[in-house]
Formats: sequence, structure tokens, C-alpha cells
Amino acid sequence: MIRIHVLEGAALVWSAEDAREIRERFRLVGTLVGALARKPRQNARLGLPLQLLPEEARLLAELGAAVLVRGTETQPPAEGEEPTQAAEVEAYQRELEESYQEQQRLAGAERGALLAQLAERIAQGRARRREQRGETPDTVEDSGLLDSPFVLPRSSMMVQLPTARQRPGRVEQVDWTSPSPDWPHAGRPAHEARYRVFRELWGRGYYLSGGSKFGGDFLVYPGDPLRFHAHYIALCCPPGAPLPLRALVAAARLGTGVKKTLLLCSPGTGGALAFTSLQWSGLQ
Amino acid sequence: MEAELEPRAGRLFSPAELVATRTRDRKVPQHSHGQKDFIPDSSEEQAERLHRCREEHWQLLAEERVERLGSLVKAEWKPREGIVELKSPAGSIQLFYRDLPLSIQEAYETLLSQGTVSLLQYQVFSHLKRLGYIVLRFCPSAVPSQYERQLNLDSYCKSSGKRHHKRKRSSSPWLQDKKPKASGNPPEGEGTPEKASGSCGGPSHPASGGSCLSQMSKESDPASGEGESAQVPTDAVQLSKPPSRSQAQAGDYGKAAGDSCSCTHLPRWDFTRIAFPNMASDCPHTFLPQPDERLLPENVAGREADATRWRKLVNQKREKLTRKEREQRERESRYKSSVNADREVRRCSNWQEYKELLKQRRQRRAGRRPSHLWDQPVTPLVKPDQVASAAAVLQQISVLQPSHILDGASRLQEDTEGMKIDFSVYQADAVANFKKNNPGKPYARMCVRRFDEQIPSLRAVKQLAYQSEDVPVVFALVDNGDIAFYSFKEFKLPVDIYN
Repeated sequence: MIRIHVLEGAALVWSAEDAREIRERFRLVGTLVGALARKPRQNARLGLPLQLLPEEARLLAELGAAVLVRGTETQPPAEGEEPTQAAEVEAYQRELEESYQEQQRLAGAERGALLAQLAERIAQGRARRREQRGETPDTVEDSGLLDSPFVLPRSSMMVQLPTARQRPGRVEQVDWTSPSPDWPHAGRPAHEARYRVFRELWGRGYYLSGGSKFGGDFLVYPGDPLRFHAHYIALCCPPGAPLPLRALVAAARLGTGVKKTLLLCSPGTGGALAFTSLQWSGLQ
Repeated sequence: MEAELEPRAGRLFSPAELVATRTRDRKVPQHSHGQKDFIPDSSEEQAERLHRCREEHWQLLAEERVERLGSLVKAEWKPREGIVELKSPAGSIQLFYRDLPLSIQEAYETLLSQGTVSLLQYQVFSHLKRLGYIVLRFCPSAVPSQYERQLNLDSYCKSSGKRHHKRKRSSSPWLQDKKPKASGNPPEGEGTPEKASGSCGGPSHPASGGSCLSQMSKESDPASGEGESAQVPTDAVQLSKPPSRSQAQAGDYGKAAGDSCSCTHLPRWDFTRIAFPNMASDCPHTFLPQPDERLLPENVAGREADATRWRKLVNQKREKLTRKEREQRERESRYKSSVNADREVRRCSNWQEYKELLKQRRQRRAGRRPSHLWDQPVTPLVKPDQVASAAAVLQQISVLQPSHILDGASRLQEDTEGMKIDFSVYQADAVANFKKNNPGKPYARMCVRRFDEQIPSLRAVKQLAYQSEDVPVVFALVDNGDIAFYSFKEFKLPVDIYN
């Protein structure tokens, strides 16, 4: 079950495995909004968490593939809550110590292997130096280097700064059908209209992503956005709302300028959705 | 509800994996290998390329942040104070809360839910920081107005604020950069007390020192000067240069200090309640009553003063002109005459009378108008004495007047439809000379909004521009993780006249 954490109306996914499943199995793209662990100081490629559109999160919840949760440990606890922490702190310290011991062992083994590899060269170098200094060769001393116990300084220990929550925390499920402070989208007419369009287009096999960069509601791709350009800019028009010609021309021009087709989506007659595409053609 | 959701922990690296990260690649490969395809054609090549892109994508995402323990600085989250305190300045931080390290997810959920910084604001903040800008919270009372900058007041305030470094501010939580970034944070995450005095403490600190003064030249209204409460704290009269028409305004800084910077727009001086006595030689009143205590800092006691002695010292020094200035004066006296040389002007005792005089003079001149032009239903648009060039004529008859964003902005009320400036953004290069205590002029000011919210009305844009003085205001619109920056630019319509 994929877990989607909601925070102030944003749907975040913190697990890389879940993100993979969402994309590969469910054809939902989302946006990465965190810093990439390998190279945080750039914006070309971002990392976890993955932020999903409200429509994407709702689709996953409706399909039963995901559950919306909210962390409950957000308020500073009362004074009496300290004792439960002590056990966790102890466990953490123990883990840290075990990791340290293991890392020391591994580092020692690595160093030992390296020294064994270069043992001959070290011995030769030693012998040469002793000859220069005029001493007698002493074979016992040679192996001394390998016997001294290796101590890894504590500060050289590697520590993980985890992205996703490590200690299981208390979470509670959020009902996506009713509005709440963390999930205010339920019931809003704009969201409902967008969701209908989203569901329909997704059902036809397209990949969808946010379209604000191109002045629309969604961008419609024929395949994974990693490898394909978008074909359509989908604009959701609420039924009965006036659509001034100026706005229509502006949207169509924008679409043409970026080589995409404008797709006007609106609930049509009989409950089905009607799609109208606009392409700028010449006079012929 | 809770029983159904079994607690789930994130991925934890084994010690072997941790050691292995030391040698992992530091470069980030590009997004899509090669040009993108146009349409999926279920070919092997396409599938292969897609597979490769995806594998790389997941591999990058699965990497975790691993650091040497020695290069991490311990930082403690203190929810009651709303700050993160670092044990030592600078470096990558490991965030702790009650002795347990916080993961990034927990940091998002606990630090951001306090209400001081929203998720949207954090997303914009981190976007800008990743690009290398310096981003500080915006505090409206700390913005020196253009006038203050002209008088060089802002540098004075900042330097006296240095005394109050360790002052704890309880009502304005300051959140530092709290996300542990793996490769080397620059020193943004510094101890909060220093930051508190730096960006927001400017004008509020001087008054608590008690002896700091600031000068504001203000046109005093001679008519209302008599007998009203003087704003001159008597400490101020120890100045070596007696103020001829300027008054000290330390009292107002006292007001600002009492109201500790809570990031709301503090009202500037309310001139309807503050009156300035007339200290010029034509006004006989020399007795100044005790100033209003509310306008003085706590440890300054005001008392009455008799300014007779001071008045005698005013305007005593004879002006010494250099030879060049004297020559210039001589030349100018041939064709220029001072306004005050006119007897009728001298008879006016205040601005109102002077304006009346000007109006009368204009009307007298206007009386010499030819009747065939001016008595018809259609009259000329311009008068000969009003315009001297073609550009002036154009100015007179133009229908569209150029307007500036700040026109009329000072008269608008406080309500900005819930919009406020969130951040000040500074460029971090050598040219900008950013220092914690003296950041200088920001590159831009950010207002963070959601993409689907209403476009701001002209009124709101004017108010924000007024708050930000001469620094451009940029709107950062966040659409589910995608950030776009919009701003209004000034431009002048070209005029087809060679001026």
C-alpha cells in the first residue's frame, strides 16, 4: 500500500520505492521537490519528496492503491511525555555504537588488505632506508606495522541523514472525500472538474503533469515525460462559464508557440466529457 | 484507524553501505539521454532508452545523505522558541529533537507545521537557496525608507544595533535553514540571536540604549507650533550644532522597540498627533513643555526646557563662501533674483498666503488674453507662457499620463488582501557585499502565492511596492511543486519628440 503524506494540502511521497511504483505501475508522474542527495545545490535535478497533484493522489486513493496519512506528532508534547523518549534515545545510541564498531572492523579489514598488497614494497622501502642509515636488517620489525590495532576515529565514522522517517511514528489516515485542513480539496468545484478531466485522459493511456508552465491545467504526454514531449495543453473549462475570445486566442497562440495543441475540456451533454482541440492553421 | 496502519520505517543503510558511500560518484547525469522521441512506437530502442533513463532516475532517488560524523554540526530543534539552535556555527547540520535525530520527512512535518513558515514558502526558499541566493525573512519595520537612506540613517541604526547581539526575541520565531544538506552548507545556519539583531533589529534597538538619536528634518508648521508638546527630549539639546529646523525623533524609535518586531507593518510616525514647535527667531515662544512620555524611551526622562539661550545661538555663524561660489553668486545676481527679495512674498506669513499670491499673479497675467481666442466656445489648449518647447506642448495635451507604480501608494490603507512580502533575496557575489549586520539593498523581494489564487489587484501591487520601496517585488507562484517567478516591470512609452 503506497503511503501518501499530506501536509497543508500537498501530497508528498517520501519513499523511493513508492515513487517508482507510482510512476511505473500507475503512469503518474508528480514533481520532485526536494534537494538531490548527491548534489543538493542545483535545481536541474531534484530529489525526494515527490509531490503529487491533488488529482493524482485522489486517483491513487480511489483505486485503492494508496492511503492518505497525516503525521500526528506535530505539536510539542506535554511535559509528562519524556520517559517514552528515553528508550528510543537508548536504542539510537546503541545502533550508533554498533555501526561504529562494524565500520571500524570493515575499515580495519580494508586497511589490512591494502597493507598486505603493498607488503613487499613496504619491506623493500624499509630495507633500503636501513641500508642508507647503516643499520642491520631486522626482519622482526617488518611485520610490526600489520599488528598494530587499527582505531577508527569517531569523527571519521559515516552517519546517514535519512530522508524518510526512520522511527515508525504515529500516523492517522486522512479521508480524501471530506475537506480538512490538511486536505482541503474535497468538494471544491474547481478540483472536481479538474479531476474528471484528469481521470478521463489518464484512462485513455496518457501521462499527465501540471500545466501551469504553459498556461493550462495539464500537460498531456503520449509516453513517459522522461522520453517524450507533451502533445497537448489541456485547459478545463467549467460548464457555463464565459470564455472570452481574448483568452482563447492567447491560449491558442501560446500552444502554437511551443508546438503543442490546445485541448479544451468541458463536461458535455449526457455526462460525458467533450474535448475540443485547437490548432493554428493558415488561411488555406 | 491507527491499528490498520502499521508503522513503517524508511530505508536504513547498513554499515557496509555507509562505508561504500565514500567512493560514490559525485556527478549527476543529465535527464534524458539524447533527444526526446516524438511518439511512442513500441520499438525496442525506445523501450531500452526509457528503461535506462528510469533506472538512473531511481538510482539517484534511492541515494541517501551520508556524511562523516566529524563534519556534522549538532543542531537542536526547540519548538517552544521556534528556533533551531546550532552548537557551533557553520557546516552541515544534523538536526536533533529531544536527543533523537530527525529525518527530512520529520523535519518537514514538525518544523513546517508550526505555522510560521508554510510549505509553499519553504519550497520557494529552498529553490532560491539552491541557486545560491541569500534569502532572509522580510521585516517591514526594518526597511529604511528612501528618505532615511538619503540622510544616511540606516547605517547609523545598524551600527548601534550591534550592541544587542544576544537579545532573545520571543514573539518572532526565526527559523534557520533546517534541512541537513549533504555537501557543505555555507554559514547560513548560524546562531539565532545574531540573526535577530541583524535583519530585523535595526531600528528597534537604538532607543533601548537611550542615548542614540536620529535626526529627521521635517518642515515644521509654524502656525501650529505654539504651546504643543515638544518632541525634543532634553538630552537632545546637548548637540554641538543646534538644530535650526530639525527635531530629534528618538521617541518614535522607542515606540518601535516596545513593539518587538513581529513582522507586521509598524505604523510610522503619526504626524497628526506629533507637533513641532517653531524655534525660529520670529516666534517668541521659547518655553518648551515636557515631552509626552509615550514617545520617549524607558530610561530617558523628559523635562521642560527654556530655549532662549539656544535661540541666541541659532544662525550665528556667518557663511563663508569660496571664491568660486562668490563669483558664481555675482554672475547669477545679474539675472536671478531671490524669491524672498520680493516684498509681497515677504508679507506672506505662511504657505497658504503665498499660494494665494501666486494665484492672484497668475490671474492678473491671464487678464491680458485676446478675446477672439478665449471668448469662443472652443479655447486654446495651451497658453504661451505655459509652454516653451514641443515636448511641453505634448505634455500639456497628452491624454494618457505616465504613471508610476508608487503614485498614490502612500495613501492606501493597510489591507493588502492577505498578501505580504515574505523574503528579501540578496545576491551572494563579491559585488553585493552582503554582511549579516549590514545586508545592503536586496536584489528582489518575494511574495509567495499559490498558482491558482487570484491575480493581485493593482491596489495590492501598489501596497507591496510601497512596502518594498525601490526594490522590485517578485511574485513566486507555486503550482504543486513547480515554481514560476513573475514581476511587473516599469517601462516608459517612447515619445516621438526630440527633447
